[in-house]
Amino acid sequence: MRKDITDEIKQIVGTAYVLEGFEDKYCYIYDASAIDAGKNGTPSLVVFPGSAEEVSCLLKLANQYNFPVIPRGAGTNVSGGTVSHSDAVILVLKRMDRILEIDERNMMAEVEVGVITARLQDEVEKRGLFYPPDPASRSFSTMGGNVAENAGGPRGAKYGVTRNYVLSLEVVLPTGEIIRTGAKTMKDVAGYDLTGLMIGSEGTLGVVTKVTVKLLPLPQAKKTMLVVFDDLGKASEAVAQVFIAGVIPATMELLDNIYIRAIEDYVHLGLPVDAEAVLLIEVDGDEIALGPQIESIKQICTRQGATSVRVASNAKEADELWVARRSAFAALARVKPTIIGEDCTVKRDKIPQMVRKIRAIAEKYNVIIAVLGHAGDGNLHATLLADERDKDEMARIEGAIDEILTSTLEVGGTLTGEHGIGRVKRKFLPLQLGPGGMKAMKAIKLALDPNNILNPGLGFGD
Amino acid sequence: MWTDLEREVIRCIKCGACQSVCPVFRELGAESSVARGKIKLIKAAIRGDLDSRSANFGELLSRCLLCGACQESCPSGVNFHDLLTRARIQLAEEKGLPLLTRLVLRLGLRNRRLFEVALNFGSIGQWLMFRHAPEGAGMLPRLPMGLDMRRLVAPVSNQSFRSRHPETIEVTNPKRKVAFFTGCMINHLYPETGESVLKLLRRNRVSVLIPAGQHCCGAPALSNGDEATAIEMAKSAVNTFAALDVDAVVTACGSCGAMLRKQFPELLRNFPKYFEKSQILARKTIDFTELLADIGLSGELTKLNRNVTYHDSCHLVRIQGVKDQPRQLLGSIPGVTLSEMQQPGRCCGGAGSFSLQHYELSRKIVQQKLNDIVATNADTVVAGCPMCVMHIRDGVHQNGLTTRVLHTADLIAEAYDD
Repeated sequence: MRKDITDEIKQIVGTAYVLEGFEDKYCYIYDASAIDAGKNGTPSLVVFPGSAEEVSCLLKLANQYNFPVIPRGAGTNVSGGTVSHSDAVILVLKRMDRILEIDERNMMAEVEVGVITARLQDEVEKRGLFYPPDPASRSFSTMGGNVAENAGGPRGAKYGVTRNYVLSLEVVLPTGEIIRTGAKTMKDVAGYDLTGLMIGSEGTLGVVTKVTVKLLPLPQAKKTMLVVFDDLGKASEAVAQVFIAGVIPATMELLDNIYIRAIEDYVHLGLPVDAEAVLLIEVDGDEIALGPQIESIKQICTRQGATSVRVASNAKEADELWVARRSAFAALARVKPTIIGEDCTVKRDKIPQMVRKIRAIAEKYNVIIAVLGHAGDGNLHATLLADERDKDEMARIEGAIDEILTSTLEVGGTLTGEHGIGRVKRKFLPLQLGPGGMKAMKAIKLALDPNNILNPGLGFGD
Repeated sequence: MWTDLEREVIRCIKCGACQSVCPVFRELGAESSVARGKIKLIKAAIRGDLDSRSANFGELLSRCLLCGACQESCPSGVNFHDLLTRARIQLAEEKGLPLLTRLVLRLGLRNRRLFEVALNFGSIGQWLMFRHAPEGAGMLPRLPMGLDMRRLVAPVSNQSFRSRHPETIEVTNPKRKVAFFTGCMINHLYPETGESVLKLLRRNRVSVLIPAGQHCCGAPALSNGDEATAIEMAKSAVNTFAALDVDAVVTACGSCGAMLRKQFPELLRNFPKYFEKSQILARKTIDFTELLADIGLSGELTKLNRNVTYHDSCHLVRIQGVKDQPRQLLGSIPGVTLSEMQQPGRCCGGAGSFSLQHYELSRKIVQQKLNDIVATNADTVVAGCPMCVMHIRDGVHQNGLTTRVLHTADLIAEAYDD
């Protein structure tokens, strides 16, 4: 970065909020994805703006001098959406971290972009309100990041994802104008849905600085159960039947045999190691409604051939059942050091077919792939285990991922249910969108960002 | 070799969970301040992406409290405490230690007699360098000799704890026989805490050995990357304590206990003559609260009428796993109400020499702790490590608060006042 431009940037945000040291900047060549930009991808500067106005000035400067800008929250996305490249300025938005308003009467909250999602959730829950999206990173990811990635989570089947809660945004457009999208109302059809356009745009269409979300009443109670199946098809059928019966669980986590073995090996819960699938199901709502719901799920699962059904009778027992799910990752980490999580998503009834495909792919490429799914919404997390020092294995992993993605499209699914395209899946996007879809996205990108300033590495402006 | 660290480094999946618990990251906000970033920097040193002798690299690796909170929240179980310690050792091997650190650790620590003579002189000469803070709170520096001028420290005692007592203190009908590893802070800065521990042991019918030949646990050396000195300290402690005919070796300092229980066997793994003995010592070592909780407080306790909040020392709770025993003992004192603060296990920012090297930063970290303490309305804060006591006292002083800050042993001993 030229010294005069650096000086201008320092004038905008203050010297204390600019990182220039090589080692300091090197720590932004990565995010939570499996890729990094390497030494040559070290950004030219890392900047921590404190307001929308500062972001606006920075973006105007970027257009003037033509340097790329990559917005970043906590850097916890797993798609390579915030990985740096040389000449880029990283815009870390964490300083803007105030909860501006929790409007209990209208059940809404407004936050600055850098507020940690779990902090908002804790604050609204103290008031008997509920912000449901629950990405695994919610204790450290930011609301801005959740908006940019349209983050989901296990509660998706019942409560939807980030998109379903955002009413309005304050956004700095790539050319520097500060705009308000949507409205702080429950209904709003004034013009194009710019709010929707920004959600999931992965930092390519604007820099979000404020987020207004709607809230729900906090469910009064929840109940948890663990169901074991000796056959994946039966488990999947049970999932479908539960929904058909009109019961919508808050979470429905499916663990496959590889997960079950690894977990049992690690925490010794007495899970049957030959079981093909375990479903961890949680229902929430009014206390009085939960008993019948659990009973109904229990009957359906038994009818579909469940080999065991365990219902937690209190919070402590529920917690014990959750141990299996919570220790899933650590259990796999003991098997191999490098873990890559995919998130191909299919229709609920395609889950068995997709899991079988993944099994076949694992065999073909001689790699270990465990599957964990948010079964309620068909969001499968194929988890690939490897050792990054083993180049041959890493090549086979890459082949396996490619084939999982193309297979997902073949069964009518999507490349990504909640992680985003980022850099990691960039090359596959045309397969899903087709040339027409790609052209439309490029037109939108260049209309808003004519100089291709914001996060150009994702390729929407190419 | 940096490559020796690769096995642990690649286990980090960069998820960022460490951000939610790291006290340093909370203040600095830069990736380089949290475990994920530091691991990436160590990886860069392995790859040859950076010059490991650069001043900035060393500075960034020094910004860690070794509090262990990150590894508790790490889904893939990276042992960051160990990894960063090994990185600092590697760095010290390449660059050598800074002159002052080298003088203190190599010349002072390794020579026990010199160390004690120096500290005895220190107790006489310290008024040249320090002045008394108002109301007996401690000492404040007169000159900016590398210490922040506002830094409140404890005066060096003119008579160290160990020099006041015979090596063997017998009781009649002993329930247990223990050896007391005092550590440097209790011996030289807080001898009154040593007296409290001794009083509690005697009043609960425990015979005590206080070996005169004992020395530093080596924690300051190890956290600064001086492995050789830490090994010397470990050998010395193993020689002095491992063969003693006692039921347990008792510590009253979170960091000393952590060294004896976890680090010594690790440091001495390549010294067959010492390794096995270090494991025996590790198994025998317990915190004094574990011993007292085990045998139960006996005798009549005076009513204290105090609202107490307990701060978990990082090394006591996370490395030694001592959490319930101090609370149980404090709670059994008549008139004591225990009020839990938010996140009692969050580091106070003291962290040994960290608070000397990074005083401003450690002040900001202790401020969080003070907010949590104040929110409990407690009149007394209790901690099981003299370093935490010193640092929280500094914070209390800087904030003009009147909260008492005591070592666990000191408060329980008050209940035994006649």
